[in-house]
Amino acid sequence: MPSETSTREQAVTMLDIQDLSVVIHRPGRQVAALSNVSFSVAPGEVVGLVGESGGGKSMVARAIVGMLPSGSHATGRVGFDGADVLRMDAADLAAHRGRGAAICFQNPRGALSPTRTVGRQLIDRLVTHQEMTGERARETAKELFESVGIRNPARRLEAYPHELSGGMAQRVMISLATGCAPGLLIADEPTTGLDVTLTREILRQFRHAADTDGRGVLLISHDLASIAEVCDRVVVLYAGTVVETGPAAKVLREPAHPYTRALLRSVPDVGGGRVVATAGGMPLMTAAPHDCPFAPRCAHAGDDCRSTRPETTALEPGWSLACFHPQQAPLAEATSGEPTKADTRIGDVVLKIEDAHVVYRSRFGSGGHHALRGVSLELKTGETLGVVGESGCGKSTLAKLIMGLVEPSEGSVEVAGKSVKKQSRAERTRAQMVFQDPIGSLSPRRTVGDSIAEPLRAAKVSTAERAKKTEAALARMELDGSILTRLPHELSGGQAQRIGIARALVGQPDLIVFDEPTSALDVTVQAQILDVIADVAADAGHGSVFISHDLATVRGFADRVVVLYLGRVVEEGPVDEVFDRPKHPYTRALLGSAPRLGETRTAAVQLVKDLDEADAATGCALAARCPFVTDTCRSQEQTLQSYGESRAACWRVPELPALIEKS
Amino acid sequence: MRILRFVGRRLLQLIPVLLGVVVLTFLLVRVLPGDPIRSILGPNATEADAEAARVRFGLDQPIWKQFLDYLGGLVTGDFGTSIQSGASVTGEMALRLGPTLELVVIAVTIAVLLAIWLGIWSARRADRFGDHSVRIFALFGNSIPEFWLGLVLILVGYAALGWFPAPSGRVDPDTDLTPLTGADLIDALLTGNGPAIGSAAAHLVLPVLTLVIGVLAPLLRSVRASALEVLRSEAYAAAAAHGLPERTLLRGYLRRATLVRLPSLAALVFGTALGSTVLVEYVFSWQGFGQWALRGLLYRDYPVVQASVLIIAFAYVLVFLIADVVHAWLDPRVKI
Repeated sequence: MPSETSTREQAVTMLDIQDLSVVIHRPGRQVAALSNVSFSVAPGEVVGLVGESGGGKSMVARAIVGMLPSGSHATGRVGFDGADVLRMDAADLAAHRGRGAAICFQNPRGALSPTRTVGRQLIDRLVTHQEMTGERARETAKELFESVGIRNPARRLEAYPHELSGGMAQRVMISLATGCAPGLLIADEPTTGLDVTLTREILRQFRHAADTDGRGVLLISHDLASIAEVCDRVVVLYAGTVVETGPAAKVLREPAHPYTRALLRSVPDVGGGRVVATAGGMPLMTAAPHDCPFAPRCAHAGDDCRSTRPETTALEPGWSLACFHPQQAPLAEATSGEPTKADTRIGDVVLKIEDAHVVYRSRFGSGGHHALRGVSLELKTGETLGVVGESGCGKSTLAKLIMGLVEPSEGSVEVAGKSVKKQSRAERTRAQMVFQDPIGSLSPRRTVGDSIAEPLRAAKVSTAERAKKTEAALARMELDGSILTRLPHELSGGQAQRIGIARALVGQPDLIVFDEPTSALDVTVQAQILDVIADVAADAGHGSVFISHDLATVRGFADRVVVLYLGRVVEEGPVDEVFDRPKHPYTRALLGSAPRLGETRTAAVQLVKDLDEADAATGCALAARCPFVTDTCRSQEQTLQSYGESRAACWRVPELPALIEKS
Repeated sequence: MRILRFVGRRLLQLIPVLLGVVVLTFLLVRVLPGDPIRSILGPNATEADAEAARVRFGLDQPIWKQFLDYLGGLVTGDFGTSIQSGASVTGEMALRLGPTLELVVIAVTIAVLLAIWLGIWSARRADRFGDHSVRIFALFGNSIPEFWLGLVLILVGYAALGWFPAPSGRVDPDTDLTPLTGADLIDALLTGNGPAIGSAAAHLVLPVLTLVIGVLAPLLRSVRASALEVLRSEAYAAAAAHGLPERTLLRGYLRRATLVRLPSLAALVFGTALGSTVLVEYVFSWQGFGQWALRGLLYRDYPVVQASVLIIAFAYVLVFLIADVVHAWLDPRVKI
């Protein structure tokens, strides 16, 4: 746990940003990326920089290492150990980068040079910043790899970036940044795209860097709830301005600024709290704002908010915010309204999967990747099935299987009583899918109206009828008719995803598959879309499958949930039963890793390895990672057995509570 | 080991490709209008003379018989007999191939090295004076017809400055060079003939320069474009943001990543250069392969045309194989 840090105010600050404003001039337009930003980071302190995309988080990171984009004009001061980064000359900057402040980049795969082994890349940093040579650098590199949790470091040193999994690449990226021995470690969205089990582990690495090496850490993220645990303080950015700064625990539990509250309420909670959506999106600033930039979206805004910009005032020592109407009620109360799950009528079976196996064959005959190994599911109209698991567990393959995009090598898939294999083109439109990438899943050369009517055209619906139905679907998504003639690149992510849902809905299908529909969206937009999906999923006319790696979003509106692991169902049951009383060790580990608002979480079960290191041999698939493994687990294949209301594929379920107690 | 297996597999694929080339050229040269016998005998020959000549070259046989004979010869390394000269095509070709390969290999190697160096240099100064002048120079070289460029170089280098020998051959005959491979510089080096080395090298300068200027532009553009892409990539920015020194950045993070896409283009340029040396050879009286093939084609000398097409096809396939291996070696993501 982070130590109480209000006393640290007097300590020496390493990074001290004062009144930093960045304006980017581009031909024809001008963007005020940052406006009067001030905050500081001390050695040994972890500071979270939170906000949605477009808030200016990355710009802060770039300003700290002196790599602002061309055409930008910065005023103010980025103090670093007494010097001002904005006024450094080339030689000082070269010394400052890496040794002073080192960034862990978002998307580590892209940020690692593809044609150099990761070991060489790390040694380059050691040679440059720690004056090491030859054998000594190699030894240190090995130790660094080991310290970030890379097993078999000697072998990994020789690996090229494309041979690493996402989690492994992120660990390498952290080791590269720490290899520079920086005073300040900056992590730009270090956990985006990682599984929950990995997210915790990666965040712990940063806390570790602050605690043991005394580095300052600036953790940039859009997800306040998940990083708050390791942070001492958080800084919340909105439209390039700092709206709230304070101790992490305080800001997380009793946020005072309406935007911070909106941000926190937009994140679904694994405990079952329902999201509260805030309408609108972040404005794009062309000049430093003269009013409160959040005012148009704020429920508490008065005339003062719309005419003058609130000064940053201290609420308590170490806790300040820029708002005329600070809120005091604890956040939990506002979200305590129990989700009222509409009692939907459960009807006919729309999806039936029996013992389906999917094998992706490798190019030359032998071998292949076994993506699904005997999955059986049943779904009725009006029902919503949540599918969760880490990446690589077969979630997306399941979606493709249901849509008929891959064929099962064994077993059968029936949608609306008909085998997917034998469906005609029109019958295929009975199952619809909502994709992860909202803009990428719309044809770039088709207008929105065309895209929405697509399934209708496939089902040979007449033109007049098409227009009517498109209009109705659009109205349901609360979108204006004028959007019909636009092209995908003119849409925001939230609008595009509404279009995607409208397209899925328009033909009144029997089944809708949502494949991670919100993971590419900003937090407050995500809440709006989740609202829409909850509404759509509650329809009695169709069944829904909701696939997500984010457990909390599933809990919001699924009736039943299945947990996938390496192509097998390891647990299934009613959503509350599975989430509140998980049976399988894997489910317990997943749930234990998920962030919970305002609670300190303690994972009862810690998996012992990363997914990519666990090889599926005979016996239980989890055997290699399970802390409670016995020889029986290693030799016997586990099948689903009933435990109370849910079923789990583990023979030790009755003993688990006692085992967890002991550990 | 994997590379060896890959090379072996590709060499096996060579067989059907070459077989296809053999069949196609064999048929196509016979479809072309014109008669090789008439063109060598001249207008005064009688019908009987022509018939006798046809029998002598086996052209009176049915096509399939001719083809089988030709194929049988190929297997034993016999490309047939030239209709024009009556000499063995294999022997003539061996004499001609060396000089042209020497010219093209040296020119393309220089062009590739120059393109790498200039391209990266230029990309690092993108949109500045140096960058613009390099690009304009390359474009200029690309737009000048090679024969004209060759003539200008002769005028300047030989006639005006007198730095280089007259464009009258590949080596000074007074040096008494013993021909081994046909490539004079290599022969001179092999026999340790000092004066011949100097003479052959001096004769090479102008034709090589002509070819280099001609093929540099596409290579340079490609290197510059991919270097710019690497410079703007996240990976390079990350390395720069970690404060690595310029030298490490250039050597470890820019160069290899830039070169990844070059091999296949270089192979293409090599193939084009091999085919387009005809004019350069003509201007510099370089008794090479291109000239020989051209004359064969003009006289409808079937065996010569077939042999030269086959050799060019073989060179293409071989060079692309080398390019693929180099590509796989440069780019760890490529699986072979």
